[in-house]
Amino acid sequence: MFELQRQHPAAALANAFDIIRANFVTILILIFVGSGGREANFTLYWIIGTFLFLLIWGVISWYRFEFSVEEGELRIEQGVLVRKKLYLTSDRIQVIDISAGVVQRLFGLVAVEVKTAGSSSKEAKISAISRGKAEKLKALLRKKAERSDDAQKADPIDHRKVYALDTKDLLIAASTSGRFGVALSVVGVAFSQVEQLISEEQMIYFVESIIPRSTNASMIAMSIFAVIAIAWLFSFASTIIKYYDFVVEVRENELLISRGLFERTQLTIPFNRIQAVQIKEELLRQPLGYASLVLESAGYGESEGNSTTLFPLLARPQIYSFINEVIPDYQTEISEKSNVPLRGLRRYLFRMLWISVPVILIVWSSIPYGVYSWFLLVPALLLGYQQYRDAGIARGKDTVVLTFRLLSKTTAMVKKYRMQSCQIQQNPFQKRLELSNFTVHVASGNQGRAFTVRDIDIAKAMDYRRWLSNGRESESNTANEGDRELLSEDSDNRDAIQ
Amino acid sequence: MRSSPKRKLSHDAIKAWRVSLSILILFLVLGLFFVWGYKLLSPESEFFSIWTLTAISVILVVITGLGIFFIPEIRWQRWSYEVDEHEVDLQSGIFIITRTLVPIKRVQHVDTRQGPILRSYDLADVTISTAATTHRIPALNEEVADQVRNQISEFARLAEEDV
Repeated sequence: MFELQRQHPAAALANAFDIIRANFVTILILIFVGSGGREANFTLYWIIGTFLFLLIWGVISWYRFEFSVEEGELRIEQGVLVRKKLYLTSDRIQVIDISAGVVQRLFGLVAVEVKTAGSSSKEAKISAISRGKAEKLKALLRKKAERSDDAQKADPIDHRKVYALDTKDLLIAASTSGRFGVALSVVGVAFSQVEQLISEEQMIYFVESIIPRSTNASMIAMSIFAVIAIAWLFSFASTIIKYYDFVVEVRENELLISRGLFERTQLTIPFNRIQAVQIKEELLRQPLGYASLVLESAGYGESEGNSTTLFPLLARPQIYSFINEVIPDYQTEISEKSNVPLRGLRRYLFRMLWISVPVILIVWSSIPYGVYSWFLLVPALLLGYQQYRDAGIARGKDTVVLTFRLLSKTTAMVKKYRMQSCQIQQNPFQKRLELSNFTVHVASGNQGRAFTVRDIDIAKAMDYRRWLSNGRESESNTANEGDRELLSEDSDNRDAIQ
Repeated sequence: MRSSPKRKLSHDAIKAWRVSLSILILFLVLGLFFVWGYKLLSPESEFFSIWTLTAISVILVVITGLGIFFIPEIRWQRWSYEVDEHEVDLQSGIFIITRTLVPIKRVQHVDTRQGPILRSYDLADVTISTAATTHRIPALNEEVADQVRNQISEFARLAEEDV
């Protein structure tokens, strides 16, 4: 049915864009560095040259890419310099993703990505074929897989639950996005670059012609305002691009998340790969009563696993019903809960003091009107107080719930059997107050992720640690008491000899 | 913290730590000597002021003193560990005391490693990896290290079976 064939020629363009996107930051840096001090023309040639080269590369790789389906196998031959042959048996194919990026949409095409599970898995991507062909390919590969593997049945369609982010929520999510901070720093850096590009005279001329009679103070206020406004616009736009048409589909044993404006991204997360769930209440969203849900997942197939937004915006009352319906495992009855004791409050306040005072001193000494930066102390201390109020630890049947705040309040839910390790830290000051930091590590991507609650009572921390360490609820593990005794005696003797 | 784990590191760990730190410091001291020499030979050069150099030297001497004579001893005293069929329990830290718990079920692999300094004292590190974190029990007696490694891997295998 599928003879050996090439992709649609648009694949050449798609390939070129793929390379650009994958190396976007590198290219930007190269352009910035490469153009340093030279004429703009040179940069332009350089960009055009790079693009031409990538395009030629794309054409060659398109020419060298051939695929076919034979005997229930997807066969791909590809490679510009090194010829690679990739044969994927349909039994082994786990996920077939059909997506459409900008280039594909331009030509009315789609990209097909085929993923297999297992550590030595290969990934195959056909970057441009017509939708009809893609569906046919999918049907062909799926049919075989289903016939040979009954357990992996297609989900009954009536069984599915679909949650979509509506436009109003998308707009709220975008305008209160937590990326605001990131955007702020980017715009800040960009502003400092502008200073280098435009000479001072031009700047002064510009300022005088546009806003005459402006004082120094209002200048500063206006530029701060401009930076914030631009940053907000950036974060607004980027959130819309990222979360446009956000849909979560609950399947029998996996979640399918699709999102994106220009490029549709599809993510498949099997339930048994979920390591932890976080409820994030961002600084701007919390007063409005909104939060977002984030999943941590371990690697599967080719994808490394990572933090993934499960849903970008939920009103607080909806959160628990959403969890109940989408990830029912994480619906927890809290049986025990403890907050930071009052004696921990001063540590929270002092911490904010130590962080903010140096910043204030630097600002005070370096910019005019910097004296006013002392007013930062008020929000900083309030933040410290709020951090103290929010921090806490709780447990349900087999779930530990850690609540903490840096800027946004995070509630992390970790299954007992998903915990990779747990750590209690105590510095001398905490020792005097009988407090400690409690950290739980979970797997997520390559590095894993740590959730820390600061300054909880040491006795409570040890209690939780004991609870986490036991497979069961019971406190005593007398069965291995003898074992432990023997073990330590043995080693003591051995080491004591030295 | 109460009820610390019971097993201690090998007492030779102190010596091994002293030696490895001494080697590191030796390089720093050599570097410093070069700078001093340069400074004394051409005093009018603007490369480091004499006061910065003195300050650096003093700091280095203090660090050397602390690092070689006091810290290894305290570090050894504070380090303890315990392994049983449910968990690996580690405690360490000079100022900030860290108590770590690794459920045996979560252990992905254990290995022992040994650099030249540790080898000369018949010592080895045991490294325990989970999907998210890596933990190290430093400077155990070689035999103990092997024993601990085997024990953890055996427990891990047993734990896997009853899940």
